[in-house]
Amino acid sequence: MKLFTIALIALLFMVHQDFWWWDDSTVVLGFLPVGLASQMVITLGAGIGWWLATEYCWPKQLDDSPIDESKKESER
Amino acid sequence: MTPLTIIVLYLCLLLGVAVLSNVFLKKTAGDFFLASRSIGPFMLFMSLFGTTMTAFSLTGSSGFTFKNGIVTYGLMGSWSALVHPLIFFLVGAKVWALGKRHGYLTQLSYLRDRYQSSFLTLLLFPLLVGFIMLYVLMGAIGAGSALQGIAGLEYKWGVALVSSVVLVYVFFGGMRGTAWANTMQTLVFLIMGAVAFVVIVSDLGGPQEATRQVVEHANAEVAKRAVRTDFNKGVFASYCLIPISVGMFPHLFQHWLTAKKASNFKLSVAAFPFCILILWAPCVLIGMWATASLPLEVPGNEVLPRMVSAHAGNVLSGLIGAGILAAMMSSMDSQFLCLGSMFTNDFYLHFIAKDRPSERSVVWMGRMFVISIVVATYFIALYCHKKSVFGLGVWCFTGFTSLFPILVGGLYWKRSNKYGAIASVVVVACMWLYYIDRALEPGGFLLLGVLPVVLMLAASTLAFVVASLVTPPPDEAHIAKFFAPGPG
Repeated sequence: MKLFTIALIALLFMVHQDFWWWDDSTVVLGFLPVGLASQMVITLGAGIGWWLATEYCWPKQLDDSPIDESKKESER
Repeated sequence: MTPLTIIVLYLCLLLGVAVLSNVFLKKTAGDFFLASRSIGPFMLFMSLFGTTMTAFSLTGSSGFTFKNGIVTYGLMGSWSALVHPLIFFLVGAKVWALGKRHGYLTQLSYLRDRYQSSFLTLLLFPLLVGFIMLYVLMGAIGAGSALQGIAGLEYKWGVALVSSVVLVYVFFGGMRGTAWANTMQTLVFLIMGAVAFVVIVSDLGGPQEATRQVVEHANAEVAKRAVRTDFNKGVFASYCLIPISVGMFPHLFQHWLTAKKASNFKLSVAAFPFCILILWAPCVLIGMWATASLPLEVPGNEVLPRMVSAHAGNVLSGLIGAGILAAMMSSMDSQFLCLGSMFTNDFYLHFIAKDRPSERSVVWMGRMFVISIVVATYFIALYCHKKSVFGLGVWCFTGFTSLFPILVGGLYWKRSNKYGAIASVVVVACMWLYYIDRALEPGGFLLLGVLPVVLMLAASTLAFVVASLVTPPPDEAHIAKFFAPGPG
């Protein structure tokens, strides 16, 4: 799943360049230019991709980070 | 009730939030600047989103779409949806762990410790203040234009009113007040953005009718530009570097440090793209539809306020105006707080104060510095009224992105050292200042056919890597502090 997540996010970075509708004036759903619609789909894909990343790629050890007590003085 | 009355009531509500948060404020620098590292996932997300979404995202995006078409969404909206979570994931959570471990209050305190160089702080401090001033300027121009367009308040008074309110609630509530206010403001601008969209589109006769008017525009060139991506391909791709700037925002760095635990970042990483879609898509559509209903010579910054006041009634205009101001103020507050903390912790206490002064005097020194910066920015804003918010934003973000190698290098590259960091900062400072006039001209400029950020980031990275490799490495005991098990 980790590999799939990384591949999905990498794919979204690539398709962002819009190889298909660059100079297309087609309107979808009666009001949305196809170039804009495709970028909105990429945004939705990013939401799914980054949600998967938090589920399957999250570095869990970060919360166990020890605290340097001598340096905590600076906050008081 | 007039739009101005509603907006003033909203500003009073914000001040009330600040007063309330002051009740919970502990009188320590750690609480004032970082809310005692106690912020949960929802408030962290609201703060991060509210801080990164600015005048650039509202008035900037609709204005740029009005002039350049729907490409605006691909240039900044969807790139931000991909890049911002990446930065929170790879940099934000790791920075939080190091901050908690070593007690950092600011970005500069981390960089000074990591690179063992006070000189680096001395170089970076004025540069970061300059970048943030440009950022504050963007908010001030956006807020002044919005108040003028929606409430009829003279531009100079609008800028003064918004800046003063933000100053007061930041001074009252510190980071806790800022986080509370940000949460409220982010909800307000998301909800009011949706309301504005529905109201405008209904008044235009529905989305299909509004788009039909654009497609059938008397000027065929304008119609074509409005609905196509069609843009310089190299420039379109190079915009992916602009959102990297969030990694180097000192005010966002400070928000990262406020989290209670690293896993609190998960919500921000996952939800950010969806909220970008909710905010940016309507603004871009309103900018596109404006091409059929506003004269083409209208300045970009005035497009959204004009569309609101033309298509919404008085009460709705006031509420939507409050929403637009909320987006701008939710960034300005973090910037003001960050300027104060950088000045006190990284400049005044580090270089000037010989004996440790009282907490109270430290906080007041910070406040005086922030006031002087805000006053200076106010006068600059009076002379830059017509500057494009989008153009200012791109140049401001170019500076931050170009400095990113020293942060990411410090986190992931053990061999990086102070000589590399100093070389990188010098390169960025020289290039940013050298090109600033051309960058702020209408339309900006390109270097070798791409955005200047590409070459500036390449030059800064090269200087960082080469200077680090040809000079002695940092000592191993010091590096172990940053790459020991835990945050590493």
